[in-house]
Amino acid sequence: MISRRPEEFGDEELVTSAQQGERQAFEVLVERYKQRAYHIAFGFTRDREDAKDLSQEAFLHAFSHLKTFDRRSGFYTWFYRILVNLCLDFRRRKGRVSWESLDEKTEKGNGLEKIPNPGPSPDQAAMSGEISTRISAALATLPPKQRAIFLLKNNQGLSIGEIAAVMKSAEGTIKAHLHRAVMALRERLTELA
Amino acid sequence: MAERQELTGACKNFEQDLVLYYYQDCSRAEQQQVEAHLEGCPSCRVFLEELKSLLPATVKPDEPTPAFWQNYSREMRGKLDKQESHGWAGAILSLFRPWPVPAVATAMILAIAVTLTFTKGRWTTETHPSPELVEMASNADFFESIDFLDSMDLLESVEGHDAQKSEPASHPL
Repeated sequence: MISRRPEEFGDEELVTSAQQGERQAFEVLVERYKQRAYHIAFGFTRDREDAKDLSQEAFLHAFSHLKTFDRRSGFYTWFYRILVNLCLDFRRRKGRVSWESLDEKTEKGNGLEKIPNPGPSPDQAAMSGEISTRISAALATLPPKQRAIFLLKNNQGLSIGEIAAVMKSAEGTIKAHLHRAVMALRERLTELA
Repeated sequence: MAERQELTGACKNFEQDLVLYYYQDCSRAEQQQVEAHLEGCPSCRVFLEELKSLLPATVKPDEPTPAFWQNYSREMRGKLDKQESHGWAGAILSLFRPWPVPAVATAMILAIAVTLTFTKGRWTTETHPSPELVEMASNADFFESIDFLDSMDLLESVEGHDAQKSEPASHPL
Protein backbone atom coordinates (compact mmCIF):
# COMPACT_ATOMS: atom_id res chain seq x y z
CA MET A 1 0.00 0.00 0.00
CA ILE A 2 1.37 3.40 -0.97
CA SER A 3 1.10 5.85 1.88
CA ARG A 4 0.31 9.41 0.94
CA ARG A 5 1.54 12.56 2.56
CA PRO A 6 -1.14 14.58 4.38
CA GLU A 7 -0.77 17.38 1.82
CA GLU A 8 -2.03 14.98 -0.85
CA PHE A 9 -5.32 14.31 0.91
CA GLY A 10 -8.50 16.04 -0.20
CA ASP A 11 -10.38 18.42 2.07
CA GLU A 12 -12.94 15.80 3.04
CA GLU A 13 -10.35 13.29 4.17
CA LEU A 14 -8.49 15.96 6.10
CA VAL A 15 -11.68 17.13 7.76
CA THR A 16 -12.51 13.54 8.77
CA SER A 17 -9.06 13.08 10.28
CA ALA A 18 -9.23 16.44 12.02
CA GLN A 19 -12.65 15.60 13.43
CA GLN A 20 -11.10 12.42 14.86
CA GLY A 21 -8.58 14.56 16.68
CA GLU A 22 -5.65 14.63 14.27
CA ARG A 23 -4.28 18.13 14.64
CA GLN A 24 -1.85 17.67 11.80
CA ALA A 25 -4.72 17.20 9.35
CA PHE A 26 -6.17 20.55 10.36
CA GLU A 27 -2.77 22.20 10.00
CA VAL A 28 -2.68 20.99 6.39
CA LEU A 29 -6.02 22.72 5.82
CA VAL A 30 -4.57 25.88 7.35
CA GLU A 31 -1.59 25.73 5.00
CA ARG A 32 -3.91 25.13 2.06
CA TYR A 33 -6.22 28.06 2.71
CA LYS A 34 -4.15 30.54 4.69
CA GLN A 35 -3.21 32.72 1.71
CA ARG A 36 -6.73 32.91 0.35
CA ALA A 37 -8.10 33.57 3.82
CA TYR A 38 -5.54 36.30 4.38
CA HIS A 39 -6.32 38.01 1.06
CA ILE A 40 -10.05 38.04 1.75
CA ALA A 41 -9.43 39.54 5.17
CA PHE A 42 -6.99 42.04 3.68
CA GLY A 43 -9.66 43.14 1.21
CA PHE A 44 -11.77 44.15 4.21
CA THR A 45 -9.17 45.52 6.55
CA ARG A 46 -6.50 46.92 4.18
CA ASP A 47 -4.14 46.26 7.08
CA ARG A 48 -1.66 43.41 7.19
CA GLU A 49 -1.80 42.71 10.93
CA ASP A 50 -5.58 42.94 11.10
CA ALA A 51 -5.88 40.62 8.10
CA LYS A 52 -3.54 38.11 9.70
CA ASP A 53 -5.39 38.21 13.02
CA LEU A 54 -8.81 37.90 11.39
CA SER A 55 -7.83 34.98 9.16
CA GLN A 56 -6.17 33.18 12.09
CA GLU A 57 -9.25 33.79 14.21
CA ALA A 58 -11.34 32.20 11.46
CA PHE A 59 -9.11 29.10 11.49
CA LEU A 60 -9.34 28.85 15.28
CA HIS A 61 -13.11 29.18 15.10
CA ALA A 62 -13.24 26.47 12.44
CA PHE A 63 -11.00 24.23 14.54
CA SER A 64 -13.12 24.56 17.65
CA HIS A 65 -16.37 24.01 15.73
CA LEU A 66 -15.14 21.29 13.39
CA LYS A 67 -17.32 18.68 15.08
CA THR A 68 -20.40 20.68 14.13
CA PHE A 69 -19.40 20.83 10.46
CA ASP A 70 -22.10 18.71 8.79
CA ARG A 71 -20.54 18.53 5.28
CA ARG A 72 -23.61 19.90 3.57
CA SER A 73 -21.17 22.25 1.88
CA GLY A 74 -17.48 21.96 1.14
CA PHE A 75 -14.97 22.78 3.86
CA TYR A 76 -13.81 25.94 2.12
CA THR A 77 -17.40 27.20 1.70
CA TRP A 78 -18.01 26.63 5.39
CA PHE A 79 -14.70 28.19 6.30
CA TYR A 80 -15.24 31.20 3.99
CA ARG A 81 -18.59 31.76 5.68
CA ILE A 82 -16.88 31.91 9.05
CA LEU A 83 -14.23 34.24 7.69
CA VAL A 84 -16.64 36.57 5.89
CA ASN A 85 -18.81 36.81 9.01
CA LEU A 86 -15.77 37.71 11.08
CA CYS A 87 -14.77 40.29 8.47
CA LEU A 88 -18.25 41.81 8.46
CA ASP A 89 -18.18 41.86 12.25
CA PHE A 90 -14.76 43.49 12.17
CA ARG A 91 -16.13 46.20 9.90
CA ARG A 92 -19.05 46.75 12.26
CA ARG A 93 -16.70 46.99 15.22
CA LYS A 94 -14.25 49.30 13.54
CA GLY A 95 -16.90 51.38 11.83
CA ARG A 96 -16.98 52.23 8.22
CA VAL A 97 -13.72 53.62 6.91
CA SER A 98 -14.63 56.93 5.45
CA TRP A 99 -13.30 58.26 2.19
CA GLU A 100 -11.53 61.13 3.98
CA SER A 101 -10.05 59.07 6.78
CA LEU A 102 -8.61 56.55 4.37
CA ASP A 103 -7.01 59.29 2.28
CA GLU A 104 -5.61 60.86 5.40
CA LYS A 105 -4.23 57.52 6.54
CA THR A 106 -2.51 57.03 3.21
CA GLU A 107 -1.03 60.50 3.18
CA LYS A 108 0.44 59.91 6.60
CA GLY A 109 2.22 56.84 5.29
CA ASN A 110 0.28 54.35 7.36
CA GLY A 111 -1.98 52.70 4.88
CA LEU A 112 -2.31 51.59 1.36
CA GLU A 113 0.90 52.87 -0.15
CA LYS A 114 2.74 50.01 1.53
CA ILE A 115 0.92 47.54 -0.70
CA PRO A 116 3.32 46.55 -3.43
CA ASN A 117 2.22 46.94 -7.01
CA PRO A 118 1.25 43.48 -8.21
CA GLY A 119 2.66 43.97 -11.69
CA PRO A 120 0.12 46.05 -13.53
CA SER A 121 -1.29 45.52 -16.96
CA PRO A 122 -0.85 48.43 -19.42
CA ASP A 123 -4.22 49.80 -18.36
CA GLN A 124 -3.38 49.56 -14.71
CA ALA A 125 0.04 51.10 -15.23
CA ALA A 126 -1.61 54.09 -16.83
CA MET A 127 -3.49 54.83 -13.65
CA SER A 128 -1.83 57.23 -11.29
CA GLY A 129 -1.02 56.35 -7.69
CA GLU A 130 -3.73 58.70 -6.58
CA ILE A 131 -6.34 56.87 -8.62
CA SER A 132 -5.20 53.53 -7.14
CA THR A 133 -5.62 54.95 -3.68
CA ARG A 134 -9.04 56.25 -4.60
CA ILE A 135 -10.03 52.80 -5.80
CA SER A 136 -9.30 51.43 -2.36
CA ALA A 137 -11.20 54.30 -0.78
CA ALA A 138 -14.13 53.68 -3.11
CA LEU A 139 -14.09 50.01 -2.14
CA ALA A 140 -14.15 51.01 1.50
CA THR A 141 -17.33 52.99 1.00
CA LEU A 142 -19.31 50.00 -0.28
CA PRO A 143 -21.83 48.51 2.14
CA PRO A 144 -20.23 45.51 3.90
CA LYS A 145 -22.28 42.82 2.20
CA GLN A 146 -21.75 44.31 -1.26
CA ARG A 147 -18.08 44.60 -0.56
CA ALA A 148 -17.85 40.99 0.60
CA ILE A 149 -19.57 39.79 -2.56
CA PHE A 150 -17.43 42.00 -4.76
CA LEU A 151 -14.20 40.79 -3.12
CA LEU A 152 -15.20 37.13 -3.34
CA LYS A 153 -15.99 37.57 -7.04
CA ASN A 154 -13.43 40.08 -8.20
CA ASN A 155 -10.44 39.12 -6.05
CA GLN A 156 -11.07 35.48 -5.24
CA GLY A 157 -12.78 34.42 -8.44
CA LEU A 158 -15.57 32.48 -6.72
CA SER A 159 -18.58 31.67 -8.87
CA ILE A 160 -21.97 33.22 -8.16
CA GLY A 161 -23.13 29.82 -6.87
CA GLU A 162 -20.19 29.54 -4.49
CA ILE A 163 -20.71 33.06 -3.18
CA ALA A 164 -24.39 32.29 -2.68
CA ALA A 165 -23.39 29.25 -0.60
CA VAL A 166 -20.89 31.26 1.44
CA MET A 167 -23.30 34.12 2.05
CA LYS A 168 -26.34 31.85 2.43
CA SER A 169 -28.26 33.96 -0.07
CA ALA A 170 -30.05 33.32 -3.33
CA GLU A 171 -28.02 33.57 -6.51
CA GLY A 172 -30.29 36.35 -7.77
CA THR A 173 -29.51 38.39 -4.66
CA ILE A 174 -25.79 37.88 -5.15
CA LYS A 175 -26.01 38.97 -8.79
CA ALA A 176 -27.96 42.09 -7.81
CA HIS A 177 -25.44 43.00 -5.08
CA LEU A 178 -22.51 42.44 -7.40
CA HIS A 179 -24.12 44.60 -10.05
CA ARG A 180 -24.77 47.38 -7.54
CA ALA A 181 -21.19 47.17 -6.22
CA VAL A 182 -19.72 47.43 -9.70
CA MET A 183 -21.96 50.34 -10.61
CA ALA A 184 -21.14 52.18 -7.38
CA LEU A 185 -17.41 51.70 -7.91
CA ARG A 186 -17.67 52.82 -11.51
CA GLU A 187 -19.52 55.95 -10.49
CA ARG A 188 -17.11 56.78 -7.66
CA LEU A 189 -14.10 56.31 -9.85
CA THR A 190 -15.50 58.28 -12.75
CA GLU A 191 -15.99 61.20 -10.36
CA LEU A 192 -12.23 61.29 -10.01
CA ALA A 193 -11.30 61.13 -13.65
CA MET B 1 -11.17 69.89 -8.30
CA ALA B 2 -11.47 67.18 -10.86
CA GLU B 3 -14.08 67.63 -13.49
CA ARG B 4 -16.75 65.01 -13.47
CA GLN B 5 -16.57 62.72 -16.46
CA GLU B 6 -19.78 61.63 -18.11
CA LEU B 7 -20.68 58.01 -17.51
CA THR B 8 -21.44 55.92 -20.53
CA GLY B 9 -24.83 54.47 -20.00
CA ALA B 10 -25.40 50.86 -20.90
CA CYS B 11 -28.85 49.52 -21.64
CA LYS B 12 -30.48 49.08 -18.24
CA ASN B 13 -31.76 45.63 -19.12
CA PHE B 14 -28.26 44.44 -19.96
CA GLU B 15 -26.20 46.10 -17.22
CA GLN B 16 -26.29 43.15 -14.83
CA ASP B 17 -25.76 40.67 -17.66
CA LEU B 18 -22.75 42.66 -18.85
CA VAL B 19 -21.20 42.52 -15.37
CA LEU B 20 -21.69 38.75 -15.27
CA TYR B 21 -20.44 38.49 -18.87
CA TYR B 22 -17.29 40.35 -17.86
CA TYR B 23 -16.72 37.81 -15.05
CA GLN B 24 -17.60 34.96 -17.43
CA ASP B 25 -20.18 33.77 -14.95
CA CYS B 26 -23.20 33.25 -17.16
CA SER B 27 -24.65 30.37 -19.10
CA ARG B 28 -23.81 29.74 -22.75
CA ALA B 29 -27.25 30.98 -23.79
CA GLU B 30 -26.88 34.21 -21.76
CA GLN B 31 -23.43 34.71 -23.19
CA GLN B 32 -24.73 34.42 -26.76
CA GLN B 33 -27.57 36.79 -25.97
CA VAL B 34 -25.17 39.42 -24.62
CA GLU B 35 -22.82 39.02 -27.58
CA ALA B 36 -25.69 39.45 -30.02
CA HIS B 37 -26.73 42.60 -28.20
CA LEU B 38 -23.20 43.98 -28.10
CA GLU B 39 -22.90 43.73 -31.88
CA GLY B 40 -25.63 46.30 -32.32
CA CYS B 41 -25.14 48.47 -29.21
CA PRO B 42 -22.14 50.83 -29.08
CA SER B 43 -22.98 52.18 -25.62
CA CYS B 44 -22.94 48.68 -24.10
CA ARG B 45 -19.64 47.99 -25.86
CA VAL B 46 -18.15 51.11 -24.26
CA PHE B 47 -19.58 50.06 -20.88
CA LEU B 48 -17.92 46.66 -21.19
CA GLU B 49 -14.61 48.26 -22.12
CA GLU B 50 -14.88 50.45 -19.03
CA LEU B 51 -15.37 47.39 -16.86
CA LYS B 52 -12.34 45.75 -18.46
CA SER B 53 -10.12 48.70 -17.61
CA LEU B 54 -11.61 49.50 -14.21
CA LEU B 55 -12.15 46.18 -12.45
CA PRO B 56 -8.68 44.63 -12.76
CA ALA B 57 -7.31 47.81 -11.22
CA THR B 58 -9.38 47.24 -8.11
CA VAL B 59 -7.44 44.06 -7.35
CA LYS B 60 -4.57 45.15 -5.22
CA PRO B 61 -3.28 42.00 -3.61
CA ASP B 62 -0.92 42.33 -0.74
CA GLU B 63 1.91 39.85 -1.26
CA PRO B 64 3.67 39.34 2.03
CA THR B 65 7.17 37.88 2.17
CA PRO B 66 7.87 34.15 2.79
CA ALA B 67 9.01 35.12 6.28
CA PHE B 68 5.54 36.50 6.94
CA TRP B 69 3.98 33.18 5.97
CA GLN B 70 6.41 31.20 8.11
CA ASN B 71 5.57 33.42 11.02
CA TYR B 72 1.87 33.06 10.21
CA SER B 73 2.08 29.25 10.40
CA ARG B 74 4.16 29.32 13.57
CA GLU B 75 1.71 31.69 15.27
CA MET B 76 -1.20 29.55 14.10
CA ARG B 77 0.33 26.41 15.61
CA GLY B 78 0.87 28.28 18.87
CA LYS B 79 -2.73 29.44 18.94
CA LEU B 80 -3.99 25.92 18.17
CA ASP B 81 -1.80 24.54 20.98
CA LYS B 82 -3.27 27.06 23.36
CA GLN B 83 -6.81 26.26 22.28
CA GLU B 84 -6.23 22.51 22.62
CA SER B 85 -4.63 22.83 26.04
CA HIS B 86 -7.65 24.70 27.26
CA GLY B 87 -9.79 21.71 26.23
CA TRP B 88 -11.73 20.31 29.18
CA ALA B 89 -10.38 22.77 31.68
CA GLY B 90 -11.67 25.58 29.49
CA ALA B 91 -15.06 23.99 29.19
CA ILE B 92 -15.39 23.68 32.96
CA LEU B 93 -13.99 27.14 33.63
CA SER B 94 -16.32 28.61 31.06
CA LEU B 95 -19.21 27.71 33.35
CA PHE B 96 -17.88 30.21 35.85
CA ARG B 97 -17.44 33.03 33.40
CA PRO B 98 -19.69 36.03 34.05
CA TRP B 99 -22.55 35.11 31.75
CA PRO B 100 -23.30 31.49 32.82
CA VAL B 101 -23.76 32.43 36.46
CA PRO B 102 -26.80 34.69 36.00
CA ALA B 103 -28.04 32.37 33.25
CA VAL B 104 -27.97 29.34 35.54
CA ALA B 105 -29.51 31.36 38.38
CA THR B 106 -32.32 32.56 36.11
CA ALA B 107 -32.93 29.02 34.90
CA MET B 108 -33.14 27.76 38.47
CA ILE B 109 -35.56 30.50 39.50
CA LEU B 110 -37.72 29.74 36.47
CA ALA B 111 -37.65 26.03 37.25
CA ILE B 112 -38.74 26.69 40.83
CA ALA B 113 -41.49 29.07 39.68
CA VAL B 114 -42.80 26.57 37.14
CA THR B 115 -42.68 23.75 39.67
CA LEU B 116 -44.57 25.77 42.27
CA THR B 117 -47.16 26.88 39.69
CA PHE B 118 -47.96 23.44 38.40
CA THR B 119 -47.78 21.60 41.67
CA LYS B 120 -49.88 24.08 43.63
CA GLY B 121 -52.11 22.20 46.06
CA ARG B 122 -50.21 18.98 45.77
CA TRP B 123 -47.73 19.99 48.38
CA THR B 124 -50.39 20.33 51.13
CA THR B 125 -50.83 16.92 52.75
CA GLU B 126 -54.35 15.69 53.31
CA THR B 127 -54.05 14.58 56.93
CA HIS B 128 -56.95 13.18 58.90
CA PRO B 129 -57.41 14.88 62.26
CA SER B 130 -56.44 12.83 65.24
CA PRO B 131 -59.24 11.62 67.64
CA GLU B 132 -57.91 13.98 70.34
CA LEU B 133 -58.38 16.96 68.03
CA VAL B 134 -61.92 15.84 67.15
CA GLU B 135 -62.77 15.63 70.84
CA MET B 136 -61.27 19.04 71.48
CA ALA B 137 -63.28 20.49 68.65
CA SER B 138 -66.51 19.01 70.03
CA ASN B 139 -65.75 20.63 73.42
CA ALA B 140 -65.22 23.98 71.79
CA ASP B 141 -68.88 24.96 72.38
CA PHE B 142 -68.49 24.21 76.04
CA PHE B 143 -65.42 26.42 76.31
CA GLU B 144 -67.17 29.19 74.37
CA SER B 145 -70.14 29.08 76.77
CA ILE B 146 -67.77 29.30 79.72
CA ASP B 147 -66.20 32.35 78.19
CA PHE B 148 -69.66 33.80 77.70
CA LEU B 149 -70.57 33.21 81.33
CA ASP B 150 -67.35 34.81 82.47
CA SER B 151 -68.25 37.83 80.38
CA MET B 152 -71.72 37.99 81.94
CA ASP B 153 -70.21 37.88 85.49
CA LEU B 154 -67.89 40.67 84.59
CA LEU B 155 -70.71 42.84 83.24
CA GLU B 156 -72.85 42.24 86.31
CA SER B 157 -70.04 43.17 88.64
CA VAL B 158 -69.40 46.36 86.67
CA GLU B 159 -73.08 47.29 86.72
CA GLY B 160 -73.33 46.61 90.49
CA HIS B 161 -70.32 48.81 91.14
CA ASP B 162 -71.83 51.64 89.08
CA ALA B 163 -75.17 51.36 90.93
CA GLN B 164 -73.48 51.72 94.31
CA LYS B 165 -71.70 54.81 93.11
CA SER B 166 -74.83 56.49 91.76
CA GLU B 167 -77.17 55.74 94.79
CA PRO B 168 -76.27 58.76 97.03
CA ALA B 169 -76.81 61.15 94.18
CA SER B 170 -80.34 59.86 93.64
CA HIS B 171 -81.55 61.05 97.10
CA PRO B 172 -83.41 64.36 96.98
CA LEU B 173 -82.03 67.21 99.14
